[in-house]
Amino acid sequence: MKISRRNFLKGSATTLFLAGFNFPVLANTDKKKNLVVIMLRGGMDGLCAVPIIGDKNFEKRRKDLILDKTIKLNSDFALHPKLKNFYNLWQNNLGAIVHATNIPYTKRSHFDGQNLMETGGHIPYSIKTGWLGRGMKLAKLKGDGLALALPMPLLLRGIPSNDNFYPSKKRLPRTELLQLLKSVYTDKSEHDLANMMEIIANRSMMNNGGTSMSRKNSSLAYKAGLELKKINGPRVAVFEVDGFDTHAAQGGVNGSHSDSLIEMDSIFKSLEKGLGSEIENTLVLTLTEFGRTIKQNGGRGTEHGYGSAIFMAGGLLKKSQVYTDWPGLKRKELFEGRDLNSTVDARSVYASAMSSVFDIDFKRIQKEVFWGDELINLSDKLFKS
Amino acid sequence: MKNFYRKVAFGLGPEDKTPSDPLKWATNQLNDIPEFSWKGKILPEKELRKYYRDYVYGDRKVLRKKFKNDKDGYKREKNKLRHTTGQKFWWNLELCIRHSEAIKSETPVLAKLWYFWGNHFAISEKDFLAQYTTGAYQREIIRANMNQNFEKMVQEATVGWSMIHHLDNDQNIGPKSQEAQWAREKGKKKGVNENHARELLELHTVSPDCGYTQEDIIQMAYIMSGWRPKWGKKRLETGDVHFNPDAHEPGTKIVLGKKYKGGRKSLSTVITDLVNHPSCRKYIAMKLCRYLITDNPSKEMMEPIIKAWEKSDGFLPEVHKAAIEVAFNYSDKHNKFQNPENWLLQMSKMSDVDLIPTPKLMDLYNLGQKPTNGQRSSEHLLRELGHHPYLAKQPNGWSDISDDWMSPELLIRRLVYAKEAYYKKSGKSQTPEFYEEMVQKNYDNPNEILQILNQHKELVHKHVILFNLPETLKS
Repeated sequence: MKISRRNFLKGSATTLFLAGFNFPVLANTDKKKNLVVIMLRGGMDGLCAVPIIGDKNFEKRRKDLILDKTIKLNSDFALHPKLKNFYNLWQNNLGAIVHATNIPYTKRSHFDGQNLMETGGHIPYSIKTGWLGRGMKLAKLKGDGLALALPMPLLLRGIPSNDNFYPSKKRLPRTELLQLLKSVYTDKSEHDLANMMEIIANRSMMNNGGTSMSRKNSSLAYKAGLELKKINGPRVAVFEVDGFDTHAAQGGVNGSHSDSLIEMDSIFKSLEKGLGSEIENTLVLTLTEFGRTIKQNGGRGTEHGYGSAIFMAGGLLKKSQVYTDWPGLKRKELFEGRDLNSTVDARSVYASAMSSVFDIDFKRIQKEVFWGDELINLSDKLFKS
Repeated sequence: MKNFYRKVAFGLGPEDKTPSDPLKWATNQLNDIPEFSWKGKILPEKELRKYYRDYVYGDRKVLRKKFKNDKDGYKREKNKLRHTTGQKFWWNLELCIRHSEAIKSETPVLAKLWYFWGNHFAISEKDFLAQYTTGAYQREIIRANMNQNFEKMVQEATVGWSMIHHLDNDQNIGPKSQEAQWAREKGKKKGVNENHARELLELHTVSPDCGYTQEDIIQMAYIMSGWRPKWGKKRLETGDVHFNPDAHEPGTKIVLGKKYKGGRKSLSTVITDLVNHPSCRKYIAMKLCRYLITDNPSKEMMEPIIKAWEKSDGFLPEVHKAAIEVAFNYSDKHNKFQNPENWLLQMSKMSDVDLIPTPKLMDLYNLGQKPTNGQRSSEHLLRELGHHPYLAKQPNGWSDISDDWMSPELLIRRLVYAKEAYYKKSGKSQTPEFYEEMVQKNYDNPNEILQILNQHKELVHKHVILFNLPETLKS
């Protein structure tokens, strides 16, 4: 391995030192910056998406799942060959990865893990708001959230008036009718309802010349990109991709894990298309509940693991890089002898991202969004200030 | 006052006469648990659990091995397995049974409270519970106990297969138990899983208000250790729940300051104490008021329910009657935002929408088939409305707080499905006279409402407006 743990630690000590000075982060407030989070449900296999190069422990344990024709990212890591759009971004310094990372959850229930990845907490179900919602509240971003899902995801809870979009297969009633309802709501002092109806009546996203709109993430991402691009549009968007729980036939390049990764990749592409030049002022991050075991199981799939990876995209990234404090894959280096370990608390990445995109001091986010948990400010390593 | 019919039930349908004594009309529905009004097939939970077993066994033990190199083959065969075990059918059938109680039974008030309890003891989205057993659990354990003491409902829900599986108590093993000892000898570690214990305290009985500590939760988990399904090579995790002493933490435990001896009986003893704790009745009274009356119940609202509980030792018919009476007394002052399912049922009942597939259509289903769109309509509709009662995201069930239902997309769904519903009405209810009569019967301000509706000529538009007026969204 070429990555030395010592170098990493030196880096983080500097960060801590600098953070102590409480630099004002409000460097550039005149441009609108966007944050997009893609939730990868089911446990994304960081080792399938971003395999390590030339590690015998890895190749031995996953004989049937090793990918052909991976794309080399650097001397240590490669990229799943189907992630073509992400690789495009990477080549333009618009794509980066944090590896061997996870939320601090070490049990293996999807159920609890997905709750914690959204709340950012430690005890399942004890927190009723999401870390993103709390961060937005701190940044006073009321009405600036957009979920590309029907129920409002827990991740965005904590700030009211978020918008959501997940096209109905049916057409909306005509505008006069919506206006009538809105005026009735206003007359009856039903302000929340009036407010919602205002959003509905004016929603440009719904107009698709009367044809029914697709619920595919690639199509939702294009729409979301167009909205985020608007100066008065949303500043935060949340997507969900399912299907990462591949206990069987996870397979190689064309396996079932690839299908979900390709869906994630299509979001990158469509967002970029919708955002146009505003991709420069946008940061996209992925989030998952855990990674998967290194060892393949009897059904050529993988079981629930621990450490995974975070994909990042957009012009607010500092540069293309695989940022990691690689723990190694020898047996004693594995978590509980079976999983890639997590050496970076994923919440450090999310807290740093919110600090950079929302222009809020990292320490305030650490304290008010993550209860003062020990997180590291990675802003200057990963993101543009 | 007329909003009372919508607040505690689903409004009055075209065939319903306006009751001379509304409160009596409501409370008279709460003494007994009548037979289901659904005239089609109803399967016992045990049988449905067998289908669940066939599915998990077939997938995990057979298909995953057989198709380990063939993603498409695996998908294809798994889809077949879904149909041979009725995965897309049973929950639709359960929804028919559930919705009939609101729309076609003589006891819609009981139905509305059934939904409350089903959500209180929620089985949230996990594995394939929703598709196979959650509906049956709500029939056999929740509804069947609505004429019993609250304690009995808690006792049965707690050791019900669905709840034990849902909250991972099958993985709750006492660290000093025989099984943990055996595991240690093999170099493995086994210990408590606190999930179920925490939810029993937090969500099902005393609530955090009672001031229990993390240590109480752990002690509670020790008491619960060993309660799990009988494991079998073929039945996997789908066996009946029993108490396995090998996994039970030995010794005395202390929960909320009281000592409990080890063993099988300790769980039922501690439940008895929990349901008799003052925090428990206060919490349930608060939740009933929040469901029926307002997001922020007052002490005065909760008081009569707590009193009824104390007087009757938590006898649910008495608790329910007290809650309904409070709802009656406050019906002019507070309107409660209706969750999407209750809203849909209200619309269907009042405006005569043909919502529920017929028993004849449902009974045509044969295992192995893909259910028809007609047979799958209930499930599809609830999902589109964003409120499938068997798919709550968390063990605390669906929210009773209005804000959680306020999002543009969720309101859009009410607009478009109000319109869809209109076209499922019989011709005789598609007349202006029908609407006028319905509004007179169900709303306290009929003239104001009719004036608003009359701004639109087409009946379908009147229908959409009516069911999206604040008076309907909030009852």
